[in-house]
Amino acid sequence: MSILGILDIGRTALAAQKAAIEVTGQNIANVNTPGYSRQTAVLETAPGGQDQGIGNGVFVASIQRSYDRFLQSQINDKNSASGEQTTEQAALQRMQPLFNDLAAEGLSGSLQKFFSAWQDLSMNPQGEAERQSVLAKAQTLMDNFHQISNSLTTVKQDANQSLGALTNDINNKTKQIAALNIQIMQAEQNNGSANTLRDSRDLLLKDLAGKVGIHSFEQPDGMVTVSLARGPVLVEGNRSATLDLQADAANSGLYGIMLTAPGGAAGSATDVTSIIAESGSGSGELGGTLRVRDNLVNGFAAGLDELASTLAVKVNGLHAAGFALNGTTGVDFFTPPPAPVPPATIAAGFSAGIALNVTTTAGIAAASTDPTLAGNGTGNNVNSLAIADLKNLTLTMSGGKTTLTGFYGSLVGKVGLAVQSSQQNGAQNSAMLKQLNMLRESTSGVSLDEELTGMIRYQKAFQGAAHLITTGQQMMDTVLNMVR
Amino acid sequence: MRITEGIIANNILGNLQLGQQQLERLQQQASTGMRINAPGDDPVSTQQVLQLKGVLQDYDQYTRNIITGSAWLGQSDNTMAGMGSVVARAHEIAMTMANGSYSATNRANAAVELKQLRSELIQQGNSQMAGRYIFGGFASDKPPFDATTGAYAGSDDAVKMEVGQGSYVSINYPGSRLLSGGTPPGSSGVDIIGELDKLTTALSTNDVTGIRAALPAMDAAQSQILAARTDVGGRMNRVQNAASNLESLKLSQTAAISDRQDVDILQVISDLTRQQTAFQAALSSAAKTSKLSLLDYL
Repeated sequence: MSILGILDIGRTALAAQKAAIEVTGQNIANVNTPGYSRQTAVLETAPGGQDQGIGNGVFVASIQRSYDRFLQSQINDKNSASGEQTTEQAALQRMQPLFNDLAAEGLSGSLQKFFSAWQDLSMNPQGEAERQSVLAKAQTLMDNFHQISNSLTTVKQDANQSLGALTNDINNKTKQIAALNIQIMQAEQNNGSANTLRDSRDLLLKDLAGKVGIHSFEQPDGMVTVSLARGPVLVEGNRSATLDLQADAANSGLYGIMLTAPGGAAGSATDVTSIIAESGSGSGELGGTLRVRDNLVNGFAAGLDELASTLAVKVNGLHAAGFALNGTTGVDFFTPPPAPVPPATIAAGFSAGIALNVTTTAGIAAASTDPTLAGNGTGNNVNSLAIADLKNLTLTMSGGKTTLTGFYGSLVGKVGLAVQSSQQNGAQNSAMLKQLNMLRESTSGVSLDEELTGMIRYQKAFQGAAHLITTGQQMMDTVLNMVR
Repeated sequence: MRITEGIIANNILGNLQLGQQQLERLQQQASTGMRINAPGDDPVSTQQVLQLKGVLQDYDQYTRNIITGSAWLGQSDNTMAGMGSVVARAHEIAMTMANGSYSATNRANAAVELKQLRSELIQQGNSQMAGRYIFGGFASDKPPFDATTGAYAGSDDAVKMEVGQGSYVSINYPGSRLLSGGTPPGSSGVDIIGELDKLTTALSTNDVTGIRAALPAMDAAQSQILAARTDVGGRMNRVQNAASNLESLKLSQTAAISDRQDVDILQVISDLTRQQTAFQAALSSAAKTSKLSLLDYL
C-alpha cells in the first residue's frame, strides 16, 4: 500500500463521517416533526486496496429510513375507525342534552304535567284555572316536541352541510398524494433518496384515512394505489379521483357523494354514498357524518314522532268523544290528525308539526255527556279522568307494550346507550392509536440521546480521520527527507 | 423497546389527560351530588330513574286530588249533620203535635216552624264548595233543589276522583238520593221534602191522623240521612288511608331514586383525594423525567 493510499482512506473517512453527522443533524432538527422517520447513514467498507485486500476506506452506501409498513397501515385503519367514532360522538354529545331529563325537566316532565293537568281538571271540571292549566301544559309539551325535533333536524342538516368541506379536503389530499407519487418515482429512478417525500406521503395517507376508510398498497415503482375501503380507486399513479356532492331526491334532497374515477371524463361520476357509509367500523369522518345523517338522527327522530303520534291518536280519540262546556263534541285536541293506526304509518317529522287544535278553555271536552242537556251539568269529569288515565295505559308501540312515559324513557335509554357505547369505542380507539403511535415512534422516532451519542462517535471518527491524514503527511515528509 | 423523547412526552401527555378526565368526573359527581348526570353515564339507571320519578309525580298528583276530595267529603258530612238535626227537629214536632192535647193554633204555629225547617233543608241541599253545588252530581253548576217546589234538578251521577292508579273514590253524594229518595222522588227511599210537605199540610189542617201517619216517614228520613253520613264517613276513612299510604310510598320511591342517582359522597370525596394525589405524583414525575438528557452532560 502506498502512503497516498493512506491519505485516500483518510479522505473517504472524513467525507463519510461528515455525511453521517449531517444525517444526525437532520434527525435532531426533525425531532418534533410529525410523520418524520428517523434516518441512518449506512456506512460500508469501500472494496479494493492493493495489499491484503484490507479495503479502500469507507463510503455511505445509503441513507436508510427507519420505517414499518405494516404498522403504518394499522395506524391508518385505526385512524379511520377513530375518525368515524369521533364524528358520531360529537353528534351524540349535541343530541344527548335534548334527552337529558335528569338535569332539566324535559319532555318526560312536561308529559307528566300534561296528564297531571287533566287530573286537576277532573277535580274541578268547570274551573277556568284548571282549564287554562290544561292548555298551558299542553302548549309546553308541544314546545318540547318541537324543540327536540327541530334540534335533531339541525344536527342532520349540519352533518349534510359538513360533507362539502370533507369532500374538498379529501380531493385535496388525493391530489397531493398523486403528485407525490410521481415525484417519488422520479427521485428513486435516479437512485436518489425520496425519504422526506415518502414521509410526507405517509402523513397524507394517515390523514386521508382519518377522513374516509381507505386501502393502499405500494406498486414496485414506488407509487401507491389508494382505493376506498370497499371499492373504487381514489389514487392511481399520478392521477386522482374527484368527489362531488349532488342533491339526492330519493333521500329528501340531502347530498349524495359522486365519484369521478382517476382520469374519468366529466359526467362519468357514480354514486358512492352507500359504499362509504357501509364500510364497517372504519369509514372515517365522511362515513361517520353519513351515518349520523342517515341512521343515528333518524332513529331518535322516529321514536319522537311515534310518541307524538300515539299521544295525538289516543288523546284525540277520547277528546272527540267528549263534550265541551257549550256542548260541542267531535273535536280533536291535537292537530294535524295523525294517521289512525300507529306504528304502521307515522309521518316523519310529525313531532315538529303537532299543535293544539283546541285553543279556548271552554273548548276542552271534560264531560262524557252534553252538559247543556237537562239532568246533566258541567261537573261531569268522566272524560277528563279518562284522558288523565292515558298516562298509565299500556299501549302497543314499536318497542312492545309500554306506557307513553315508558316509551319516552326507553328512547332516553337508547340515546344513553348510544352515547355510552360511543364513549367506550372512543376510549378503546384512542388507547389502540396511542399504542400504535408509540410503536411507530419506537421504530421511526428520533431519540436525542441516541443522536447525541452518534454525533460524539462520528465526531471522534472525524478527528481520527484528520489525524490519519496528518500522519500520512508526516510519513510523506519523512520519506521525502530521506531523499535529501 | 427503543424509547424516544417523543414516547415519553406522549405518555406524559396521555396520562395527565387521563388523570384530568378522572378528576373532572369525580369533581362533577361531588358538586352535583349525582352519580348520573346524563343518560350516557348509565342508560339503564337513567331509564329507571325517569320511571320512578314519573311514579313519584303520580303520587304527588293523587295527594293533591285527595286534598280537594277530602274537603268535599268533609263539607258533605258537615252539611248532612245539619240536615240530621233539621229532620230530628221535624220528627220531634210531629211526635209532640201527634198528642191530642194540642190546639189547632198550636199546630198551625208548628206548621210555620216546619216550613222554616223545610227551606233550611233545601238551603242545605244547595250548599256550595268553592262555587260548586256539592249535592248536584254532575250538575254542580246550578242549585240542585228548587227553592219553592223542592224538586231535584241535579244529576244522580257519582263524581269520581283517582286516589291511586285505577282506584277511584266518589267525592259527592247525589242530593236526589239524600233528600228526594231517588228519581223520581220516593222511588228508592224516603222523599224527605215531600214528607215534610205532607206533615205541614196535616199540621195546618189540624189532621191528627195525618200527623201520626207522618211519624214512621220521619223515622225513615233520619235513618236515610244517617246512612248517607255513614257512607261519606267510610269514604273519608278510605281516602285518609290512601293518603297515608301515599306518604309511605313516596318515601320508599324517593329512596329508590336516590339509590340509583345519588353518589356516595364519602366514597367520592375519598376517590377525589386519591385521584388528586395520583395526579400530583404524575405531574412531579413528569417534571423530573423530562429533565434527564445527555445534553446536560456534554
